[in-house]
Amino acid sequence: MTNGGGALYVYGVMSAAERESLEVAGVEGAEVGTVEGHGLAALTSPVQGSALAAAREVRAHWRVLQEASESATVLPVRFGTVLEGEQAVRDHLLEPNAERLTELLDRLRGCVQLTVKGLYDEQALLAEVVTSTPSIAALRARLQSMPPQAAYYDRIRLGEMVAGEIARRREADTQHALQVLEPSARASCVENPSAAESAFDLSFLVPRGKQSAFGKRVRALVEEVEDRIDIRFVGPLPPYSFAEGNHEIGEA
Amino acid sequence: MAIATQPRGYVDRPRPSGLVDVIDVILDKGLVIDIYVRVALVGIELLTIDARIVIASVDTYLRFAEAVNRLDITEQGQAEGLPQLMESLTSGGSKSKTEGALEGVKEKIFGSDDDDDDDDDDGSSSRSSKRRSSSRSYGDGRSSSKKRARSGRSGGDNG
Repeated sequence: MTNGGGALYVYGVMSAAERESLEVAGVEGAEVGTVEGHGLAALTSPVQGSALAAAREVRAHWRVLQEASESATVLPVRFGTVLEGEQAVRDHLLEPNAERLTELLDRLRGCVQLTVKGLYDEQALLAEVVTSTPSIAALRARLQSMPPQAAYYDRIRLGEMVAGEIARRREADTQHALQVLEPSARASCVENPSAAESAFDLSFLVPRGKQSAFGKRVRALVEEVEDRIDIRFVGPLPPYSFAEGNHEIGEA
Repeated sequence: MAIATQPRGYVDRPRPSGLVDVIDVILDKGLVIDIYVRVALVGIELLTIDARIVIASVDTYLRFAEAVNRLDITEQGQAEGLPQLMESLTSGGSKSKTEGALEGVKEKIFGSDDDDDDDDDDGSSSRSSKRRSSSRSYGDGRSSSKKRARSGRSGGDNG
């Protein structure tokens, strides 16, 4: 199944040998097809509109990639990518990148992305920071006996010390989580914290057959830190975080 | 295998991902095709920021809905307790945060056309749109949602 002329939304790239037709509707409700070349298949669908309503279409983008990656290995393309047509998909995506994409697909084959996020309970975290850091506790006690406007710079300093303490904890918790989880993963990626109370946001590349081993490690981590950190374990996803090929992929 | 305390059921196994859990990954990661060969889409950047807010607020509603469903309100005469509770939940401390997003949800999801969205988000989000039949100025909501989008993205740009 191929698409005719006109602009094409691009979801991802997979090996032509693995492609199968998808049930799920794509962006703007369109049927998803493929453009093939150089042994690769790009998942595409025609786009009519001049601008995509992202809030709706991001869901379509996500669903197409979820379904396509149920059995195959798919490299996700960044959300919102539209090319001029079939020829452009071949000339600008598949042909110039054929070698790199084929190699990357080989390295990612049989793996899924699993995401582990940790969120601090802010109240508990702050209480812990105060009780375990004498200098912060002392400054806080001193400021509490003063009118707010009298200690403007000291309050800034207190806040700065707290922020520094939180950053140290975040770094330590991130390293610890990596240490616990990495043995069952081929690669890992530390995402930027998306919220102030974020303890860590980690993506792992895990062979499909090792998902339960990885899950056991996640459970061990949860049992260890659950009084401080709320952990969300999400997946399997296509390897979004490893699609650019700038991560070292080892054994697992 | 002994499951000691309150088992958090999903922990051994990853949850089938809710969109909100992966929204940052979806919007910030993936193969990037040379910008010069992409068809220029007017306003695509702004629209993706909106998407973050909409997805996050739908998730918030789902959690409210779940929390409300779990509540044990059995006494008679409290039949109207639920709507009141929803009201107080949504108009509480996070009011300013959720309102802009709420408008966004209506705009993006219920606004322009009929959607066949079939997953779980639908139930609770359509409920909330019904509940808030009164409309407020788009401008207000929008400015607060933008602020939130920025703080949410801090450090995550060009991820």
